[in-house]
Amino acid sequence: MLKTVKQVMLAGSMLAVAMTAASADDIVVGSAAGITGPIAELVAPIVAGRELAAKHVNEQGGLLDGDTLVLAHADSQCDPTAGVDAGNKLVNIEQSVAIIGASCSGATNGMVQSVTIPAGVMSISDSATAPSITELDDNDLVFRVAASDAYQGVALAQLAINAGYTKLAMTFSNDDYNAGIASVFEQAFKDLGGEITGSQMHEPEKQSYRSELSTLSGGGAEGLALFAYYGSSGITIVRNSLENGLFGKFLAADGMFDTSVIEQIGADALRGNIMITQAASDDANVSYQAYAAAYGPAYESQGYAASAPYAAHGYDAAFLVALAIEKAGSTDRAAMSAALREVASGPGTVIRPGEWAKAKAAIAAGEDINYEGAVGNNDFDANGDVTGMFSVNTVGDGEGYTTDLIR
Amino acid sequence: MIDLLNFHIIPGLVLGSIYALGAIGVSLVFGILRFANFAHGDTMTLGTYITYTFIHLTPLYGIVALPLALLIAVPAAMIATGLIVLIIDRLFYRPFRNSPVIIVVIASFGMMLMIRSSIEMIWGPQLKAMITGIQPPWFFFDTIRVLPKHVAILIAALVLMGIIHYLLSHTKIGKAMRAMADSPDLARVTGIDTERVVKATWMIGTALAVAAGVFLALDGQMKPLMGFSVLLAVFASAILGGIGRPYGAMAGGLVIGVAEELSTYPWIGDGPLLSPGYKAGVSFAIMVAMLIWRPNGLFKGKVF
Repeated sequence: MLKTVKQVMLAGSMLAVAMTAASADDIVVGSAAGITGPIAELVAPIVAGRELAAKHVNEQGGLLDGDTLVLAHADSQCDPTAGVDAGNKLVNIEQSVAIIGASCSGATNGMVQSVTIPAGVMSISDSATAPSITELDDNDLVFRVAASDAYQGVALAQLAINAGYTKLAMTFSNDDYNAGIASVFEQAFKDLGGEITGSQMHEPEKQSYRSELSTLSGGGAEGLALFAYYGSSGITIVRNSLENGLFGKFLAADGMFDTSVIEQIGADALRGNIMITQAASDDANVSYQAYAAAYGPAYESQGYAASAPYAAHGYDAAFLVALAIEKAGSTDRAAMSAALREVASGPGTVIRPGEWAKAKAAIAAGEDINYEGAVGNNDFDANGDVTGMFSVNTVGDGEGYTTDLIR
Repeated sequence: MIDLLNFHIIPGLVLGSIYALGAIGVSLVFGILRFANFAHGDTMTLGTYITYTFIHLTPLYGIVALPLALLIAVPAAMIATGLIVLIIDRLFYRPFRNSPVIIVVIASFGMMLMIRSSIEMIWGPQLKAMITGIQPPWFFFDTIRVLPKHVAILIAALVLMGIIHYLLSHTKIGKAMRAMADSPDLARVTGIDTERVVKATWMIGTALAVAAGVFLALDGQMKPLMGFSVLLAVFASAILGGIGRPYGAMAGGLVIGVAEELSTYPWIGDGPLLSPGYKAGVSFAIMVAMLIWRPNGLFKGKVF
């Protein structure tokens, strides 16, 4: 109950921030996230990461002439239509300089294609991973600090082969992210010598998937490759499979990575039976440590860990936008994307998470800077993508996930 | 072939009885108040969250097992949610009683969003579970498998429908409701207290919605969008049965639920007849077909 009260207060404070967003010395950056919807639990720590970056900026001198960086929040609900609404609000009402988000690939695709690209506003997502975002015709306006599923899908296929799977059934939710990673996985798994016995798209938000699963289980598969958001169909599919003895083993990607899977299904049923890949940060990295040292104490009381999925990405995305504004020396939307490319890659003075004052001084002195973020070097390629690393998460002896980095 | 029963017909009946409970409420409100209540799905959600609160935030759950806790909490939540809906009716629908229908439909659309946002504010957008863990099925004749919770849902739904039948056919208020559905003006002339009938309609429709929501949560999970995600199927059921006809709504719900599940059975070849990705389209297709060819629904006689 206490947690709920805090979340309500957090939501309230976000609202308050959004309402006070227009005063003269404020520079408004849009923050579109799936605050409600099927991955609400995952999104809360990510938004906290964005807030932390804004806090660092404002504590260490602010933007430009001491202006305050204000994040205007909008709820993209992990849904393309809501993503368009959120983008419209942030671009046209809040007059954001640039936009962080959206969270889900579908919402991001909707938002950038209908709103931000036509309006010439730069956006940088911290957790949209669908390969389709790479291919957007975006005038160099769409960036992301999360690695494309073109990599994660291959990593998961390799894991499946290494774990001894040769025949898998596959089901994926009908949205940009899950359909994207499913097609990458299917191709990679076949290339590595595996066989997909059956592949089915399913509609999210249904009450039961028993009929689909019963058809899929007919092919003699050893396990189920499950691409879904945990909150809209993933948990239901795991439950239906286990209750009816249709599938006992599951392979999944980051859309399933939340502790509520364990809370709702029970750790015992999942022990040794589920593998989930997840974008990871190298905790031996100095930049990651700098971020974690700040994030941990700030959000410990709300139960968010620095290692929460994409929280570090949220921090990096927000910090990069701030650096781009500082580098551009103005709030001109058209200047953001070129400035972002300059601050994100070398050569130049290395800036790490939390080092806003140092970055501000270097930019003021006319030096080049190079942000080495919590999640990696954040060097964008021609499509505005980055590479990344992944971890594999299993349910071991304990009540939570056991995480191993894939190197 | 046994898969057809285990994985298509039984889940279809469970889903169908949930749709039916929701559709009765939609149908009753349409019959008496003559508008399509968009907020009905979110009334289900609200009732479910209130039930959850009664179970988990009172000492109830610690004292008795879940089935008994539900037997106490659900009726309490029905009353609580019914009172909230009565307040909503007084504040947001009653001022529009004599306005064009579209105004009150849009008012209910607004209420839908307000109820959902309030749920997110109070309980948070996170997933919750009425029951956690995996429930093993019961086996009959070694091949037929039924989940205990499904048996409970089916029995409870039948009991509730029986109560509704009794209310409508044997009680004074039920007869008044039917009279008002047939002709509101005539009902008023004969001395029926129409506002009292309206209140009864809301209470009954809401009580069934709460039950439907709790069954949904037992079978799946709780989230703010749970009611809205079945709203389309509920409307389709009500239209299939003939809007304004509660018995039709019961039949319509069961037909839609079973039809959705059967559409993915491999009738021809090995693959599902219809890709499960388009399962939601089945209730849509039935609804559109009915509206074109038989807009009065299956039960257009003077059943109600």
